[in-house]
Amino acid sequence: MTAAVLDPHEVQIGRRQALAQARALAQRSIRGTLRQPQVWLPGLLFPMFLAAVNTSTMGKAVEFLPGFEDVDSLLDFLLPASITQSVLFGGLTAGSDTATDIQTGFFDRLLASPVSRTSILVGRLAGASVTGAFQAVVFMLVYGAFGVRVAAGLPGAVLLIAYAMVLALVIGGFAAMLALKTGSAEAVQNVFPLTFILLFISSAFFPTDSMSGIYESVASRNPVTWMVDGMRHQVTVGLDWSEAAVSIAVAAALATMAIFGAQRALQARLRRAA
Amino acid sequence: MTAAVGSSSVAEPSTSWVPVAWALARRSLVTVLRVPAAVVPLVAMPMFFVVAFSGSFSRLSDLPSFPTDNVLDWFVPFAIVQGAAFAGFGTGFSTVRDIESGFFDRLLLAPGSRAGLFVGPIIASLVRTTFTVTVVLALGFALGATLPGGAVGLLMIWVAAMGVAVIATGWALGLVYRVPNQRAGPILQIGIFFTTFLSTGNVPLADQIGWTKGIARVNPLTNILELARQGFLGEVAWRTSWPGLVAIAGSTAVLWLWAITGLKNLTP
Repeated sequence: MTAAVLDPHEVQIGRRQALAQARALAQRSIRGTLRQPQVWLPGLLFPMFLAAVNTSTMGKAVEFLPGFEDVDSLLDFLLPASITQSVLFGGLTAGSDTATDIQTGFFDRLLASPVSRTSILVGRLAGASVTGAFQAVVFMLVYGAFGVRVAAGLPGAVLLIAYAMVLALVIGGFAAMLALKTGSAEAVQNVFPLTFILLFISSAFFPTDSMSGIYESVASRNPVTWMVDGMRHQVTVGLDWSEAAVSIAVAAALATMAIFGAQRALQARLRRAA
Repeated sequence: MTAAVGSSSVAEPSTSWVPVAWALARRSLVTVLRVPAAVVPLVAMPMFFVVAFSGSFSRLSDLPSFPTDNVLDWFVPFAIVQGAAFAGFGTGFSTVRDIESGFFDRLLLAPGSRAGLFVGPIIASLVRTTFTVTVVLALGFALGATLPGGAVGLLMIWVAAMGVAVIATGWALGLVYRVPNQRAGPILQIGIFFTTFLSTGNVPLADQIGWTKGIARVNPLTNILELARQGFLGEVAWRTSWPGLVAIAGSTAVLWLWAITGLKNLTP
């Protein structure tokens, strides 16, 4: 006999069946993303374009400015930033697609069927996480073609992929929470400028050592800085488990908060639907 | 009894393009007031760029060829020019709504010259850009930007911003007439981002090292930025003004030809 899920809004099905449903919904999420290149392609190309432009226009900064002591080229420095930027933009798709499911009525049909309610959320977030891993691999391959090597080697590359997967849960969870609260894809897309601001006021594109005043103070306290710096260490210096642990722990803490929020929003929507 | 057509009591419809231009400009500006989201690219984005660029890249002034110690004097004009480009983009892109709603068809059926369809958006862009210039300059000065070029320097940044707004409006209208739906939006934005980033927006040509240097050298925006920045970096001079003025004139001619031929393509 399999254990039953005990949520009052949850349909009573076995855990194994719930996992199978989550897997099917995750596959649907990934397929849905892959079928819309206009959605995911800008999330890959724009960070690459920005990195290419910055490497060319500001490449001399590596020789003259503080904070670049361990860096051979600005492109090395920007690899974790590009992964973060791409995953943040791409993760919004998960939330946006959840809102689209609500708007098109697919979400209601899921509720009318014997599908585990938790699987709806887990499936969507698992899809986002796999997409995040894919994005990290693409960036490492493309930047690798331009001479970027992850100093930490294979373990460093695996850490970058793991980081991208957890980060996708962060933004995917927040976006899904917003989608479940509002039911509006437009409301989810409006978060885009916020992610842009979070990225800019961090060490993603330039080290905090080369900033000053209030800006430096805010950037140093931005969780994006903590996440990016730990991953950057793996790329530019070498394998450092403590730096990696900080990055992934911050991302995991934020992911826990985001998923908790999304779960609460799902419960609230189920109560309204009941 | 109904009034006879042609009777002196019935006003003849105006065939002048001037009222049409003013009406379209007013309509475009009212949209900005009614749709708060429209203010974001107009003001919020350039303000954010001033803060973010001058904060993130504050030590760029340590680069050997960087022409100022105050990074704000470099990035405030860039943010204004970028804001002007987005003001022009916004005005042109609002035409998509008119085309999709059928309002534009009614304008095309109206008697008289179609010059109003071009002049109206230009007026709206210029007013929007004046707003952007004022707000971003105020922010820049509040944060510590300086203008050693004085009133002439101020005039130069205004001329550069207005020029970019007119150019961007032509680019947007030309594209919207050819792709008359919302899909034109990303293409327009990408065009503006490419043009602004592949220039001397971030650092001077002498400090660029890679493939962007060749593009920035021939990008007309590089000269327009020189025109815009000169008052912030020192005295205004003719040799740093004329290339920018030529770039504005040339780009305006090319992109407004693109807009005019686009309208001809749109109409049977």
